Amino acid sequence: MEELVKLTIDGKQVEVPAGTLVINAAKAAGIEIPAFCYYDGLALQAACRMCLVEVKKAPKLLTACTLVAQPGMVVHTETPAVVEARKAMLEFLLTNHPLDCPVCDKGGECELQDMVFRYGAGESRFLEQKVHTEEKQFSPLVYFDAPRCILCYRCVRICDEGLGVKALGVVHRGVYTEIGPNRGDHLECDECGMCIDICPVGALTSGRYRYKTRPWEMQHVGTICAHCSNGCKTTLGVRNDAIIRANNRDRSGLNGEFLCVKGRFGFDFVEHPERLRTPLVREGGELRPVNWMQAVALVARRFEEIRARGGRIGVIGSNRTTNEENYCLQKFARQVLGTNHIDHHRTGDVVALVDALAGRTGALATTGDLYRTRAALVIAADLAQQQPFLAFQLRANWRHHGLRLYAVTPGPVREEQYAVRSVRCRPGEELAAVEGLAAELKGEPELVILFGDAVKGELVHRLVAFGDSLGIPVKYVCLVDYANSRGAADMGLLPDLLPGYRPVAEAGLERGMALPEILAAPDLDALWVVGANPLKDAPLASTAAFVVVQDLFLTETARRADVVLPAASAYEKTGTFTNVCGEIQQLRKAIDFPGAKTDLEIFGLLARAMRAEIGPANPEKVFEEIRATVPGYNVALPVLAAGGAAPSSPQNGRVPVEWRPELIRSARDTLFRSGTLGRYSQALNSVTEAPGELYRG
Amino acid sequence: MPTKVNEIIDSAAAIAKGLGVTLKEFLSPTITEDYPDSPPRFQERYRGVHVLERDENGLEKCVACFLCAAACPSNCIYIEAAENTDTIRISGGERYAKVYNIDYNRCIFCGYCVEACPTDAITHGHGFEIASYDTVTLIWRKEQLLAQPREPYPEATVTEVG
Repeated sequence: MEELVKLTIDGKQVEVPAGTLVINAAKAAGIEIPAFCYYDGLALQAACRMCLVEVKKAPKLLTACTLVAQPGMVVHTETPAVVEARKAMLEFLLTNHPLDCPVCDKGGECELQDMVFRYGAGESRFLEQKVHTEEKQFSPLVYFDAPRCILCYRCVRICDEGLGVKALGVVHRGVYTEIGPNRGDHLECDECGMCIDICPVGALTSGRYRYKTRPWEMQHVGTICAHCSNGCKTTLGVRNDAIIRANNRDRSGLNGEFLCVKGRFGFDFVEHPERLRTPLVREGGELRPVNWMQAVALVARRFEEIRARGGRIGVIGSNRTTNEENYCLQKFARQVLGTNHIDHHRTGDVVALVDALAGRTGALATTGDLYRTRAALVIAADLAQQQPFLAFQLRANWRHHGLRLYAVTPGPVREEQYAVRSVRCRPGEELAAVEGLAAELKGEPELVILFGDAVKGELVHRLVAFGDSLGIPVKYVCLVDYANSRGAADMGLLPDLLPGYRPVAEAGLERGMALPEILAAPDLDALWVVGANPLKDAPLASTAAFVVVQDLFLTETARRADVVLPAASAYEKTGTFTNVCGEIQQLRKAIDFPGAKTDLEIFGLLARAMRAEIGPANPEKVFEEIRATVPGYNVALPVLAAGGAAPSSPQNGRVPVEWRPELIRSARDTLFRSGTLGRYSQALNSVTEAPGELYRG
Repeated sequence: MPTKVNEIIDSAAAIAKGLGVTLKEFLSPTITEDYPDSPPRFQERYRGVHVLERDENGLEKCVACFLCAAACPSNCIYIEAAENTDTIRISGGERYAKVYNIDYNRCIFCGYCVEACPTDAITHGHGFEIASYDTVTLIWRKEQLLAQPREPYPEATVTEVG
């Protein structure tokens, strides 16, 4: 039982846990104490002096952000002395602050504006010339305007404590004090832009959003980031059907306000000039634009023809399409096309993990678990590069709760900064190194194991057996690459498993060909690729195959296609994604892209053209079906509708995996790469750190 | 008969009084406008068609802060902002209005935009002849609203804000 402390704030009796700061105790009682430098989750700074309060028996005003609530304490937040002090503080902050609010990007959502409006004097007694310095460009994405800075050190702390990058510091003294980047005149960092968002004023501004619009002019659409598998909520600012910026200042979603460079800046692939706007059909060896009716009719006719003569059709699904689309695709392939040659690019062995954890519940860690667990083990993954939000969660856990982290990696990783044990091992020897840690791990009260693509197949079983042998509660995260990699496996884009990891034998089918086998089959009659680019790495053996590709861009695979159908991106549709930890979240449509259709719509059109019945092409209806039929997906709809994350909980018997696909490989994307989408994001490619490198520390 | 005489005197007095007013007004300066034969005269503060002003350097005063659009009760102002560069400098601040439209189908000439403007960029001119049979022509673009450059454009200079 936590010890409680009773104190009085503005005459109100407040009871808070021991150790609570007065600023938070007041907040709990519904009393606002203004502050700039105090920030939830970051170290205390007491730099801004805005939170001064009067405490009975204290000779001077005290800063509420560093004052720990004591029993019997009597605090006043609105006495004339306090009001006067706030006014004076704001007057000081405005001494050199340019009053250029009409042009400042922060105008309208500026904390200094709000504070001055509410607590300020309205007039300044300073008549002197303001100190002015020119604006600096720290990187293509980060600009710094020193005169606007109020030196709250939030950016310095988030970069150091939150990310562990330490790219920002404070230079010079007195009135010339300003924030400086780590490379003298420019930044070399994660380019996550957390410093821009956390800045209470317009000192740090975004290179993408600068001077484009004003905050109240945009519609704000909270959706899920289209890039990596962490499933961060990103709130898109939309104006005139264009995405202007992305952030998550309302802290909705599992990531709070965290976003990496991809989530915050990497949305610009949607407006790349090479986006496909019309279906293309190969005529005389060249892809020519046609209308949707013609393209769909051609695909339907060829599919019917190949199906009628019992031809082999391969289907390759996507890591980036929604659960609804993945479900519909496998249903279409199995029921309409009658093929079981269906697969996707596997970036982690989720199947083996679900198999190894057969019959257990609660053995898959959620992103919330990463923040609360007492100990964690990272195997063969550079989290800071590949899984930025998971890395952030673990780091926050270490800062707030003293997480004990073990890292077994082939190269230096950022987590080593605070890991209690870090072990380097040669690729392929990770598990042996992990087993060497058994004695230490047994001493932990609980453990979350995160493993990358180096641990697959039998090794996953060996890892789970190792976890069992520790005698402590162990949870697992199988790291995968893309926004809905987990969902692709869950929804049965697998040649041997139906949605929910049920064996295909249940549907009276035999195991189909896996992705490498599909590409290598010389007698393949048709290949249907939805949102994937398999021909980037391997050629298609069958030269006569009729290839249909649904994608955003003319990728290597689309160039080989006979029909290319322009698809909508994740920001242009609704549906659900399942993140790396199995948490289901809802996408919200932010914009329309003329010419493109969602993959679900395309399936619907094809089904109609083939006079087949696959149910309504409506995300809500399909998700109803998924909830009813896929084990683990019967989640509460209100949670999703409210923008929350609902953990899926696969409860399976053993998955009869008698066959193990060889090709399970992470794409090894860094912070600045994101598969096909990353290639078309100008923001990601503009920074000097791109393309980045794994295991650089 | 004294009542009859009184009646005649009263009537004559009433007519004289009435004609007196007529005579007085006849001799006072006229306030009737001759519009459209001659241009109308306006009070200084008449709220007519807007003018986007320029500063003493000929640069546009508007920095595209969107406050006019925010203040507008009929939501008739549409702005797209862009950043000034060293080579293309349109306004005095960092930002200028790339597009500035006022939809006179909707404008109620309330003057809130003028009051909201922090740089005195938007003002009410005295123009009023905007009636049209085609409502599309009532969406005025920046080019139509912008004040004419006073002098031949001087060399663009960088001015600091704040």
